[in-house]
Amino acid sequence: MLKILVCVKQIPDIDLVKMDPETGNLVRAGVPTLTNPLDLNALEAAVQVKESYGGEITLITMGPPMAESTLRECLAVGGDEAVLITGRPFGGADTLSTSYSIVKAADMEGRFDLIFCGKESQDGATGQMASQLAERFDASQVSCCLSIDEIGDGKLRATRVLETGREIVEATLPCLLTVEKDNFYGRLPSLKDYLAAKTAPITTYTENNIDGLDLNKIGVPGSGTIVPKIYPPELPEPGRIIRTGSVKSDVAALMDVLTEKGAL
Amino acid sequence: MQKSDYKNMWVYVEHDGKTAAPVSLELCCELRKLCDKTGDKLFAVILGPLAGDQIEKILDCAVDGVIEVSGTGYEYFNTDAWANAFTVLSRKYNPSAIFVGGTVNGRDFAPRFAVQLDTGCTSDAMELEYDPETGDIQFIEPAVGGKIMAVITVPALRPQVGTIRPGTFKYAPAGRKEQVERIREEINFDPEAIRCRHLDFIPDESDPELDIANADCIVCVGNGLKDSEHLERYRTLAKLLGGKIGCTRPLYDRGILPYKLQIGQSGVMVKTKLYISFGVSGAVNHTAGVDAELLIAVDKNPEAQIFNYCDYGIVGDMDEVCDELIDQLRAAGK
Repeated sequence: MLKILVCVKQIPDIDLVKMDPETGNLVRAGVPTLTNPLDLNALEAAVQVKESYGGEITLITMGPPMAESTLRECLAVGGDEAVLITGRPFGGADTLSTSYSIVKAADMEGRFDLIFCGKESQDGATGQMASQLAERFDASQVSCCLSIDEIGDGKLRATRVLETGREIVEATLPCLLTVEKDNFYGRLPSLKDYLAAKTAPITTYTENNIDGLDLNKIGVPGSGTIVPKIYPPELPEPGRIIRTGSVKSDVAALMDVLTEKGAL
Repeated sequence: MQKSDYKNMWVYVEHDGKTAAPVSLELCCELRKLCDKTGDKLFAVILGPLAGDQIEKILDCAVDGVIEVSGTGYEYFNTDAWANAFTVLSRKYNPSAIFVGGTVNGRDFAPRFAVQLDTGCTSDAMELEYDPETGDIQFIEPAVGGKIMAVITVPALRPQVGTIRPGTFKYAPAGRKEQVERIREEINFDPEAIRCRHLDFIPDESDPELDIANADCIVCVGNGLKDSEHLERYRTLAKLLGGKIGCTRPLYDRGILPYKLQIGQSGVMVKTKLYISFGVSGAVNHTAGVDAELLIAVDKNPEAQIFNYCDYGIVGDMDEVCDELIDQLRAAGK
């Protein structure tokens, strides 16, 4: 039976995150959260593998206690076990330290044959986690996977999407994959699974109960990068707004511009 | 670790044996400027054999040297041999920074060797600055969907690793240096140890509608689009203007248009004469990918950021404006 790990992340709705013009800090208070959309494609790929080849799916996330709701959402559509890594010392982590924390906690749950993650998160959007997790899991990696064509014999065959075509690769297990959404659109839970997920047990790890966790490698101390400054993007001066009173006359004015500029 | 022990900056040259990827040359040109500020030497790192005329092209970007790596394991891109080569080279030469083009494969292996070297990695910077006080590179990039710009640094570790998207920087070769160092290294990676191996490559069938990078006219549809049923009129408009249709990321995310039509930093960078946007908010990640002689924006929100980037704007319902424009173009005999 395949042991499958799916890494998921709860993120703020970035459309609603604002920057405090006084302090220059991001205001996240009161901003609704969601499960990173690309992680749901990764979960769907894992569920399809489980349906075809058999297996058990463990979900893992790191975040504040409320990230539990993301785990429950994912349990409802095919996860079997769920792991939450939480605790102040993990906060402020970049990908170098997050990947370390996730792998140390995952090791507590045994060895995984397949690891799935989203291509990137909508909020941080570095797209670095997958490769860094693969390195720390000592796994092969298949990024931008369009389809998983065959699994067996300690190997898998998959199709990757590159800039100018598709690449067929063969990778040994354990293997970490990120997926394209084309064949892995997420699914909705049944009412039964939705209700079961509400009360399913969740394994929680903190900085105190992960074997061999080096506190210097987690959170801010373990991060390679920092963000010393954020600022609003400098915007150019607005262009000329055509405002003549009606759509018809606005478009007529635009036609004049296009003609004058030789664009037609 | 002493930061001062780490000197010089490297650019990884992605290639298929015949051609160096444009992003690698762009990076050489941009890093030349940065190295002139920091006093570092600039080296291009080439794995596996590359045609001589391409190496000439790299030298024309005013690099101070080239590191050519030969050995086993480089017949076709694989993360294991690539990450290993950079880890081995970096431990030997201690570069201050390593830059990798943010292609699919560049983004695949660069974060991996950053972990092997236990150092910080950044992606998608749009500007690179140097802070002489700390000696750190400032990687400046849009964050939170383009709402803010973030300065990212690697304050204590080396090398500083960054992947940069194709088209972010201009290819503007500064000419050849009088003296160029040619370093040759042999790093063998056991082909049996490659865990993800290449079996085959199937090139995409060329579809001219999906090739928008250099289209004369682009009609770009953004998240303001209600649903796919409303899309047809924009195709009609594009056809009337002799142009092609493109989109912003949310439309790809919503499954309405394919990835190859996504314009912006994480999609296609376009250079065009006429660009008309409908329902596009104008996030930095998108506008960074648009180089247009004439930019027209249509959106119902008068505060939309896209109006800061346009030459002319119309505030109004995107579908109505599009339909009216189609009518008037037809009336004008288009």
